[in-house]
Parts: sequence; structure tokens; C-alpha cells
Amino acid sequence: MRLTAWRDWFGPSTSWEQAVFWALDLETTGLDPTRDHIISAAMVPVRGGTIRVGERWHTYVCPPKGVQSSLDALRVHHIMPRESAGAPSLADVVHGVDRRLREGVLLVHFATLDVAFLREACRRTGQRWIRPPVVDTAALAWRLHQRATWPREPAAEPDLGLADVRAACGLPPHRAHDALADAVATAELFLVLRSRLDLRSLRQLV
Amino acid sequence: MDPLDFLRAHAPFDRLDAAALRRVAATLEIAFAPAGAHVLQRGAAPARFLYVIRKGVVRLERDGEVVQVLEEGDTFGFPSLVGRTSPLVDAVVVEDALLYQVPEAEFRALVESPGFAEFFVVSLSERLHRHASLQPVPFGRALWGSLEGMPLAPVRWIAPGETVQAAARLMREAGASAIFVEGSPPGIVTDSDLRVRVLAEGRGPSTPVGEIATRPVATVPSGSTLLEALTFMLERRVHHAALESAGRLVGLITDADLLRLQVQTPLYLLRTVERLAVPGDLPTYGQDLAAMVGSLTWSGLDAWQVGPIVARVNDALVARLIAFVQSTLGPAPVPFAWIVFGSEGRREQTLLADQDHALTFSAGGEGVDAYFARLAREVVALLLEAGFPPCPGGYMATSWRMPVDDLAARFRAWILKPDPQGLVDALNLFDFRPVAGDLDVGPLDDIIAAAAREPRFLAHFARASLGLEPPLGAFRHIKEDHGGVDLKRGGLVPVAGLARLLALEAGARDRPTLARLEAAAAAGTLSHEGAATLAQAFRFLMRLRLTDQLRHLRAGRPLSTLTPLDALTSLDRAYLKDVFVAIREVQQATALRYAIDRLA
Repeated sequence: MRLTAWRDWFGPSTSWEQAVFWALDLETTGLDPTRDHIISAAMVPVRGGTIRVGERWHTYVCPPKGVQSSLDALRVHHIMPRESAGAPSLADVVHGVDRRLREGVLLVHFATLDVAFLREACRRTGQRWIRPPVVDTAALAWRLHQRATWPREPAAEPDLGLADVRAACGLPPHRAHDALADAVATAELFLVLRSRLDLRSLRQLV
Repeated sequence: MDPLDFLRAHAPFDRLDAAALRRVAATLEIAFAPAGAHVLQRGAAPARFLYVIRKGVVRLERDGEVVQVLEEGDTFGFPSLVGRTSPLVDAVVVEDALLYQVPEAEFRALVESPGFAEFFVVSLSERLHRHASLQPVPFGRALWGSLEGMPLAPVRWIAPGETVQAAARLMREAGASAIFVEGSPPGIVTDSDLRVRVLAEGRGPSTPVGEIATRPVATVPSGSTLLEALTFMLERRVHHAALESAGRLVGLITDADLLRLQVQTPLYLLRTVERLAVPGDLPTYGQDLAAMVGSLTWSGLDAWQVGPIVARVNDALVARLIAFVQSTLGPAPVPFAWIVFGSEGRREQTLLADQDHALTFSAGGEGVDAYFARLAREVVALLLEAGFPPCPGGYMATSWRMPVDDLAARFRAWILKPDPQGLVDALNLFDFRPVAGDLDVGPLDDIIAAAAREPRFLAHFARASLGLEPPLGAFRHIKEDHGGVDLKRGGLVPVAGLARLLALEAGARDRPTLARLEAAAAAGTLSHEGAATLAQAFRFLMRLRLTDQLRHLRAGRPLSTLTPLDALTSLDRAYLKDVFVAIREVQQATALRYAIDRLA
């Protein structure tokens, strides 16, 4: 059943506009998925080629007892412990992510890290990670960079941070390290990169 | 969050309350359009969204010509969206654009807040404001003004073989002090030539005019300033300067014209009116008035500024005529008021227009009615003689003549039980202004002001006020009817109607359209931007119409209610269209606000 869906999605004729992309951003207590925790998650869908702001979803995550953000992390994301106390449990949040991803593609900037956090969250809450198709805007940005410098090898590693790539694409500054703003920013960046790379089918994007 | 913060910081979303902004957020879409993309296409399907540029540059083009360049924070798609018509322009992305899109359904909900809907005509007001020809010219520009458009007597021509006597007769008929003589090159014969070269030389009246003509004629280009023409005449010691345009003689300016410009001042005309011999002097009143309007316009007054002056002169005429009739009829038995309405009531009359007036008095009674019936009849007849045509709708003192209590009762009935005829009467009479007599008509004004508290009346009055629409076709082109556009019915009346309605709702007692728009903006029944746009539109239409009418008068043609589009410059045509579109948009926004379609 699932394989059929997969093939449908990635057949040559599936145009990108027919797919639903759920842009996701996580704020975490640190950078190590095995030790750190998700403290906030946000998602916003791209449907029919446009970002549907009305369907945005943002939640804090109630951390396990005794868990605190490192001071460094606090400095970045500004989520205070009292904001996440009383928030949905990690299991509920993973369920909310899972429910959305069943509809389409995961869209994320630097997918590796966020996917690792999500897999780990699934493991901790005893849920199955559904392994959705993933589009990584950082990877798209890298492709655009290579294409721009071709046929020479890129001389230097470009800055592939979300804010840097957005600036390079002429997108306005956004409020970084706010999960929802980052998710919308990622979705916007995706629209620009897809157009610049002229990728028309889903197969070309993933 | 980001998109909402951005919208909140940009007009017109800054006028929305928190709840409305949340509704916007719930349906907002964000799209990306690369450079070269056509977001809207002229003549294609209507816009489905209101677009707000978050980033990038979009150009609005008409036939490849740039109409407007839009940047971050600018909106587009409004006209097509609200009218559900094909876009009037192409919207072409010039720099990659991130577009915020508000879907049609949500947009329709938002336009119910007045500030939001009216916002969309702002840019037009600004554009009109920048339109050079609409900049006010300081009064007294006279010497620096171009001769073009200056009110000059028509030029007469005569064949060289005709006699000097025939030439003198033609000059007398035309009231001219010189005449052009046909030939190559053409010549000129002036008053002083007849004296110096004919009489003083002992030549007879049958002398061929060609023999005494001056050839070639010394000319100044018709685009010269009055100062240049004056300098020319002083240097040559001549009293005439022929105006030349494209190798042809097109006019003649004389030192008498210069004098006449001084003479045709309002004060002079006012004094003339007060000393008027009635009825002997009446037939030329219209010409004198037109000449005054022509010279006021030429010397830099805008049409809307001419209105109050014309009203003052016309008021003086009515007072003079009433005094004349009373000199045989005797004084009035009870206090009365002669009131005018329509454009005369709003002081927006520029040239002779239809009579629009009523007569009201403190109390009825047998002798009283007979007296005022006769007063009305005779004044109306004299006004006809002075060139004011009768009112086709019958709004004249001969039929609108009643005790003030009866008139007040009618006003109240129109407000409390609005019916179609009552609303038409209200549209006319609510612009009333007393011009003669000593009766206090303030109570009538109080009744009108109280109408602001009658929502049912306001809704009906709104529908009646929006009855005439700008003549725009389905694709927003200007529709000509019988070879022209009626600037009054298609533009001035709709603006005056909106101003009357919104000022009434504001409880304001002003009459002039421009004052009403200001009052409406001050009270909040119209946004400041909406008021500015309508005011600009009104001034522009007044000027366009008056210019066209004066052109007719100068050419000796009868006035027409229709202005052919090809008589306008292409710039004026373009602005006319924008002005019509703007008026229609404010009308639509107003209709939405009054929920006119929900009326039974």
C-alpha cells in the first residue's frame, strides 16, 4: 500500500504543485539528539504551490522532569521553562507531526539534525517513524550554489544557514529561532529555490 | 508571527482590528513569483486574491506601457477583485517577488470596514496630485500665462477685392478692431488704417481692402505668453498682434483685450448686475457671465474656485430680479425665502444652468399665496430672459412654492417614509441654500441634520445617491454615448452624491461637495484617503467640463452635455479613466457598507 503511494509520488509525471510539503522547525535544548530534547515544534504546509499560513501549527513541548535547556540554548531560542510547563507531552507532539507528515513531504532546512531528533522522539515515545520523503532546503541551496559556479568547483563552502541562504536569495530577514517563523521562512525559501533550480517534479526535489 | 507582523505594519491592514487580522491570518497564502512572471493578465480571468508584495518588485503595465511600479508593502489586484472583472493591467514581476495573497472571500469580508475599502483609491489621489496640470496656478499669473486658451474674440477674414466699407461693416458686426485680409501672404486692416490710410488720404468707401492692408502680418506664436505679446506690441507701437500657429493666423490679441481682462473681474460684473436695467440688459447676462468665467479660468482660477464666484453673481441677479418685480408688486405680505438647490445650492455652477429653486414663506393665506405665485411667475420669466433654461424636473418656484411648515413636513416625510419620488426630491432639495428674502430657514437644516440618525433612510438615500455610475465598460474602458462622455452625470453627480450622503451621515451641514468630503473625513464616515481622492476627482472633472464648455463658447457653438473623448489630451483621457474607476470603487465600497443589496 505504502509502496504504491511512494511510486505515485515519485513518478516522473508528479508535478511539485500536486504534492503537499510540510515545512518543519524544531527548537531543542541542544544539538545532540541522544541527550537533548525538543522544546518546541512548528509546521506550515505548502499546498498547490502556496504556503497556507492559516494551517500553521506551533506547540511547545513539555520536557521530562528535571530537563532544562542549557544556558547557551536558552540564549538562542528564548523559551523559558515556565512556557513549556503545561505544554503537550512529547508523545502528543510526535503524534501531531506524524499526522501531518502522512499527508506529504517533510520540508526542512538541514534535514539531518531535525530528522534525527524526530526519530529519537519516536523511539522515546514508542511510536514508529514513518520515514516520509524529505526535501532539504539546505541541500537545494547547495545545488544552486554548485550550479552557479559550474563548471568550476565552488571555491569556498557557502554559508548554508537559513538566514544566510535567505539573504542570498533576496528574501527578507525573519525572526530566527522561533520555530514557527523558521518554518515559514523555510517554506518561503523552498518556493524560491525550487523556482531558481526550475525543479518541476517531486522526483527532482527529493 | 512574521507574515502578520508585516501586514499589521502596512496599510490597509493597519486599519484592521485584532479579530479581523486573525481572520486574515487564517486564510493568508504566500506565493513566490519569479521575475518575468505575469501574476495578472489584462483581459484574462479576474484576480482571485488581493496581492501584497512582501518582497520584490511588480510592474503594472497597460499595452506594454508602465502604469505603476509596486514594491514591498504595495497591494494590487483590487479593482479586478472587487469588480470581478478582467484585470485592467498586466501585473509583471520585475524582481523575484514573495507575494502575500488574501483570498477573494476573505477580502470581501474585510471591505466592510470603511477604512480598508477606501484605502485602495489612495494611490490614485496621489497620482492625480502629482499631475502637473492639476497643480493650482497662482491667481494673477496673467502676464506669464500662455495666450492659448485666453478668451479672445473670433477672427474675421475678408477677400482683398472687397471694399473697405464691407470690411468696416464686418468689423462692426464682430465688435473687432481689426480684420485679416485673404491672400498670400495674408494681410491685416485695423481701425487706425481706416482712419490714416482711407479717410486721411481722401479715399472712398469703395477702395479695395487689399490696397490698404498691411502685408505680411507681424505675428507672435500662439503659445507666447501675454508678456511677450505685450512687449511685441510696445516695440512695434501697434495695438494688435496676430497669433500664428503652424504657419496659419489663428487669432488676434489687441490692447483692448488686455483691458477687457481687467474689466471682466467678478467685482465689475457684480456692480453691473446690481445696476442692471431690467429687463433690457438681461439677454446679455449669460454672455457676460461666460466672459467672466473665461477670464477667471484663463487667469489661473480652477473651475471649482470659479463656482462660488458665479454663485455670488447669480445670487445678486436673483436679488435684483426679485427687487424689480417687487417694485410693481409691492413688498411681501409675510417673510419669505427664495432658495436654490442642485449645483447652484452647492455653489458649483460655472456657466448658465437650469433653474433650480423654490419659494417658501412663513405662513399661508389667500392673499399671500396669490402674491408669491405672481412673484415666482415673474422672476422665473426674467430668469428665462437672462438665459437660465427652465428646470426639466420642474423644481421651480412656480410649482415648489409653499409655507415653510409644509416644506418642513415634506422633508420629514422623505426621511421617515422614504419612497422613490421622495428620495429624488430629497437629493435635489437637501442641497438647498437661501439666496433672497428674510425668512429663517434654519429649521429645515435641522431636519436634514437629524436624518443622520435614521438608518433606514440612510440606506435608501445611499441607494438613491449611487444611482448614477461612471460610464465604464466591462473592461473598464470609458463608454462613449452619442459620441461623447457626460462628465456631469457620469462623474460630477456621482461624486456630489457620495459627498452629500457621507456628509449627511456625519451630521454635517455643509453644501459644497469639497467641504462635505472634508466633513465626512473628519467625522469618519469616509477615510481621509477616500476624501482626498474624491476631491481630486471632483476638481479634475470640474476643470475638464468647464474647459470643454469654454471651448464651445469660444467657437460659437452651443453648449453640449457630452464631451468627445478625442477632444481630450491622451493624458487627460488616461486620468479620466482612473478617476471614473476610483469613483466606481468608492461607490462599490459605499454600497457594501450600506448593505444596499439587502434593502427590500
